[in-house]
Amino acid sequence: MELIIKNLSKTYKNGVKAIDTINLEIGTGMFGLLGPNGAGKSSLMRTIATLQIPDSGMITFGDINVLEDNLSLRKVLGYLPQSFGVYPKMSAENLLDYFATLKGVSSKSDRKKIVTEVLEITNLYEVRKKYVNGYSGGMKQRFGIAQLLLNKPKLIIVDEPTAGLDPAERQRFLNVLREIGTNNTVIFSTHIVEDVKELCNKMAILNGGRILSNTTPTEATTALKGQIWKTVITRDELELMEANYDVLSSNYNQDNSITVRIYSSIQPDGDFREATPQLDDVYFIALKQDESVLVN
Amino acid sequence: MFSTIFKHELKYWFRNPSFYIYVFLFLTISILLSAASAGIFESNTVTNGTAIIANSPMRIGNMFNTLAIIIFFLFPSIIGFSVYRDYKSEMHTILYSYPFTKANYLFAKFFSSVLIVLIIVLFVGIGLSIGFSLPGTNPILLEEFSIMPYLQTYLIYIVPNILLYGAIIFAVVVFTRKIIAGFTAFIILIVLQSTLVALFSNPEYTFITGLFNPSGISATEYYIKYWTISEQNTKAVPIKELIIYNRLLWTGIAMLIFGIVYKYFKFNQQPIRLSLRKQKGERAIKSNFGSIIRVQLPKVNFDFSFRQYLKTTWKLSSIDFNYITKSIPFIIMLLGVTLSLLLDYFEGSKFRGTSRLPVTWRMLDYGETFQLAIIICTFLYAGMLNQRAKISNINILVDSMPIPNWTLLLSKLIALFKMQWIMLTVIMITGISFQVYKGYYQFEIGHYLFELYILNFMYYALWAMMAIYVQTLIKNTYVGLFLLFSLFIFVSTAIPNVIGITQDIFLFNNGTVGYNYSDMNGYGNSLSSIFIYSFYWFLFGILLIIGAGLFYSRGIVGSFKERLSIGRSRFTKKIALGVGIVSIAFLSTGFCIYYENNVTNASASAKEKEQIIVDIEKKYAKYEDYAQPKIAAVTIELDIYPKELNFNLKGKYVLVNKAEVAIDSLFLKYNNYPSTFKFNKSNTLVSKDSLFQFNMYRLDKALQPGDSIQLDFTVKNVTNTILNTHSPVLENGTFLNSFQLAPTIGYKRVGLTDAETRKKYGLPEVALKAHPSDTTALGTNDLTRDADWIDFEATVSTSKDQIAIAPGYLQKEWIEDDRRYFHYKMDQKMLNIYSFNSARYEVKKDIWNDVVLEIYYHKGHDKNLDRMMAGMKASLAYNTENFSPYQHKQIRIIEFPKTYGSFAQSYPNTIPFSESHGFIADVNDNDIGGIDYAFGVTSHEVAHQWWAHQVIGADVLGATMLTESISEYVRLKTLERVYGKHNMYAFLKYAADHYLRGRKNDVTGEDPLMYISGQSYIRYSKGALVFYALSDYIGEKNLNAALHKFVKKTNLKNHHTQLQ
Repeated sequence: MELIIKNLSKTYKNGVKAIDTINLEIGTGMFGLLGPNGAGKSSLMRTIATLQIPDSGMITFGDINVLEDNLSLRKVLGYLPQSFGVYPKMSAENLLDYFATLKGVSSKSDRKKIVTEVLEITNLYEVRKKYVNGYSGGMKQRFGIAQLLLNKPKLIIVDEPTAGLDPAERQRFLNVLREIGTNNTVIFSTHIVEDVKELCNKMAILNGGRILSNTTPTEATTALKGQIWKTVITRDELELMEANYDVLSSNYNQDNSITVRIYSSIQPDGDFREATPQLDDVYFIALKQDESVLVN
Repeated sequence: MFSTIFKHELKYWFRNPSFYIYVFLFLTISILLSAASAGIFESNTVTNGTAIIANSPMRIGNMFNTLAIIIFFLFPSIIGFSVYRDYKSEMHTILYSYPFTKANYLFAKFFSSVLIVLIIVLFVGIGLSIGFSLPGTNPILLEEFSIMPYLQTYLIYIVPNILLYGAIIFAVVVFTRKIIAGFTAFIILIVLQSTLVALFSNPEYTFITGLFNPSGISATEYYIKYWTISEQNTKAVPIKELIIYNRLLWTGIAMLIFGIVYKYFKFNQQPIRLSLRKQKGERAIKSNFGSIIRVQLPKVNFDFSFRQYLKTTWKLSSIDFNYITKSIPFIIMLLGVTLSLLLDYFEGSKFRGTSRLPVTWRMLDYGETFQLAIIICTFLYAGMLNQRAKISNINILVDSMPIPNWTLLLSKLIALFKMQWIMLTVIMITGISFQVYKGYYQFEIGHYLFELYILNFMYYALWAMMAIYVQTLIKNTYVGLFLLFSLFIFVSTAIPNVIGITQDIFLFNNGTVGYNYSDMNGYGNSLSSIFIYSFYWFLFGILLIIGAGLFYSRGIVGSFKERLSIGRSRFTKKIALGVGIVSIAFLSTGFCIYYENNVTNASASAKEKEQIIVDIEKKYAKYEDYAQPKIAAVTIELDIYPKELNFNLKGKYVLVNKAEVAIDSLFLKYNNYPSTFKFNKSNTLVSKDSLFQFNMYRLDKALQPGDSIQLDFTVKNVTNTILNTHSPVLENGTFLNSFQLAPTIGYKRVGLTDAETRKKYGLPEVALKAHPSDTTALGTNDLTRDADWIDFEATVSTSKDQIAIAPGYLQKEWIEDDRRYFHYKMDQKMLNIYSFNSARYEVKKDIWNDVVLEIYYHKGHDKNLDRMMAGMKASLAYNTENFSPYQHKQIRIIEFPKTYGSFAQSYPNTIPFSESHGFIADVNDNDIGGIDYAFGVTSHEVAHQWWAHQVIGADVLGATMLTESISEYVRLKTLERVYGKHNMYAFLKYAADHYLRGRKNDVTGEDPLMYISGQSYIRYSKGALVFYALSDYIGEKNLNAALHKFVKKTNLKNHHTQLQ
């Protein structure tokens, strides 16, 4: 099923335009929503998840008119917000049973079955009797996935799920998502480019409430072939470099020298070597162009 | 540092709209209250009488203090919030690492919030003074403005109290980091305080309560509780030792508490935990490998049907309910009020130191504390349930679930219902346990269930609906709670009455309580109106719930405008239709009630009644001394139909002209039952006043002195309607009397005694009663102006299973048409007062000398029969020995339902006695101070057979001393014979206290006992003290000898009061 967003806009009370005429079509598979903090990712996701009402626009998922028929969408929705809490003094098992009831699993045995399964999947079965509010960050995030799975969702929205996870947790988390993403629509927001690179079939870059680019990771990097250059300079040369070139990133090396990557359709000069385009480059180019639009 | 934090806090409040809302609210309330007490609404209500100066120092103090106490409810959300704010916003994680001292932090937080409270309270004072000076207030009720009483109340009472309660709440919130804990502490404090004050209500303990009641109000009471009206009007509240000690003590405690906070507070990330078991530390590691799994979810069924939603609603409510019952504030509150309920069972509702049997209706009379606990828990948890998801930050998950809003909303309402059921169940368990403890095994489980789970629950359920509505609209639980509580206070007290709202249909949840259960007659006629009103408010409740549903916030809702637009979008055609139908049902029910109460049963407002009384007096006053014949003989035929709640009365008077002049006109005053009258001499009806129920007849031929005329009359019942009780007949336990049924002869002034009010209406000043030296008044009987002594005969019929009783001796008893008839006839002259009782009675008989003693009682109410018998014998013996022989050959005590009240009354050889007055006394002879009142009241009533039925005063000042004071004296003397002199002091102490407290509210002024105009605090309490003292001073023998001489002179004669 396909999620279609048309001309979606939302301005907050404080004057911030969080969503600015967004148009998107998202099909089955993993869709990565990349953007810096404050780009409007959460606003967009909350709106799709029926938790926020836009000022204008339309969202459909299959034949569900999302904004009109909240309930139908919620039936097929799995949502993991950026941050969430849990009722204190409730074990994972009880809390999941509670959620399963809310998600319409009516028979007790069915609930038990599915709760056990999602606990297994998220590797929480051992600690199912422990209070969730005592879980570590990674465990809580896995619990979030567990609750998301309870209604066998068709549309899965996960908002910056990997922030703050240790490498092992992150890896496990992405694997589970990937596994579900093969047959369903998964929208996945992050500000970590790696996440998108590793598992998304499609992606969009969002900043200031607008979609800057809507593509696939491979396409995007291929398109940049031969346009990314890198060189090593000293700290004192940096300002000059930034003035002359389109610097995408600059990173310290261990010997206090700096590696810079620049964006240029031709080789700038002999010190530069051609670099393999990374998704990071795509991201930074998009943001950079957006910034220059704002400046002009 | 202190000033930075302090200023920052103040700025926060001054920018917060809630501060201005509080100020506005309290300003309005206090203006309204003071203006009302100063008579601004007089045009809507009755005239305030003389003498109550609204802004006297004492009354300003009372009002100011009372309103300030309501502000205490805000402490958790103002003073507690000052520190909680840092935890809630997690500012403390940063703030507590900053370089300021905890003294700076704590003092700044505490004093800034205290200052905010002080400012709000200040506006109460300002509001009061504005209210008193508004145009339209009655200048008679006001004194010149003086700042002193305000200052005194503010500085001596309010400021220390704010510091004390503020410190306690501050301490609790600092240590628990939870507002609700502060709130619970506050509730517990209030319960504790009121329970202790109630427990030590005995006059002996006033000093102790004065010292230990932290509000300082009991300390003031200690000095001013016996103040007379003029003292209350003029004197400044004294600042004396006890008040100073009390203030010092509790300010000291406040400082101590703050000291403790200072000592133990730490700039910690974690709150201080009190844990009994130490958790064992354990090294925790998690598995970091093996991360690829196959996601294959099992097949389960999803059900999104309406039925399933209902099931989910129930399940969610159980989860919410579990949350409530496990939350510490709830447990503490419930435990607290259960303890207070037990104390009440043990100590409370004693009558003059004697407890009553734990009959079920008394167990169910669980008092205001428990009721308030249920109400407050309902208000509080409506908010907590609404905010719970948000506080735990789980709301964003829950809100994205495929569940309709109404399921979430309704589950909260049901959870509140369940909480109320639990609390009501606790009452039942406590009640039954107490009954078992007391060895009372007549369990009426059905009565418990019906009253708690149906009658009481309906009332609380309606409040739950209102609470859900308000707490859904208001985002802050404590502000919601405050608003709800204000509404509760407003509709549950007399405030609306004062400002002219008198109809129940305009006051939420009014009319849904007020049943009266009697062991004899059950709920009688009181239920139908409760059910109608409950239905009416339930319809309103549905509208509230729909309203809550429209504005229920789901997901992220920004502005108020957005909420409105969401509400509008949810207002679908279907909803609109539903709202339409319910609104129509609600309004039409309301209209029917209004119509029934105001058109069908038009009842004048208090204000109109006052005018009517004035008009009547102006019209008829000139006839007051118009010569009228006197009733000499009464024959009554009364048919009581207990099942049908109906009666039919036929009566006959023989009227004799005892005056020295011919009588040309007859005046007949009757009651509001349909009546007919017929004289046996030709006459014309000159005037018929159906409003006052007063007819004037002109006799065609004047009635010459000594001549007589016969009056035949009939009185018919007015049947009850679904909302209003008109019939005086009960299914079991009918008690009717002559005052209520029979017509009287002649005009007698009624009502308006207050001098100022009379002046306002241009009525002449009158004495309340004639002075005994006024010989013209001496010809009139104090109890019945239209009769001296009469012959009496009555035939009473009732249903077959009941016994009917009237004064006189049973001549004949027979059954006719499946009804039981009793013919009674008195063998000698008696006063023109008589009663009729009918019920399914058990009878206990005994004999004293030649006198037959009988008690007609309700089955099961047999615990006090022996004491009553003993009381009858003792009183018969004492009166006979000292005064004169008993005039009858029989005396009967007859139980009647408490529906009619809690009293006993003496009629010729007949004493109707309320079921709640002596039949359920639980006398413990070891109780010090508790006096056997089953015995005592019986003795008093039997004494009336002499002191009323043998010696009756004229209609002049002092008449009631002859009846009540001497009967009280006899009661004391008979008790003294059984229980010894030393036990009488307890009784006399109560009498003294009752006398002094009674005097407090007497606006008519106190005359010497000999010339009293009838105040009960004088004729009973002061009378008992005076006669008992007299018997001490001149000796019991001498006093009784004097009384004996007096009886001999006046016995069954006409009216003297001079007792020398």
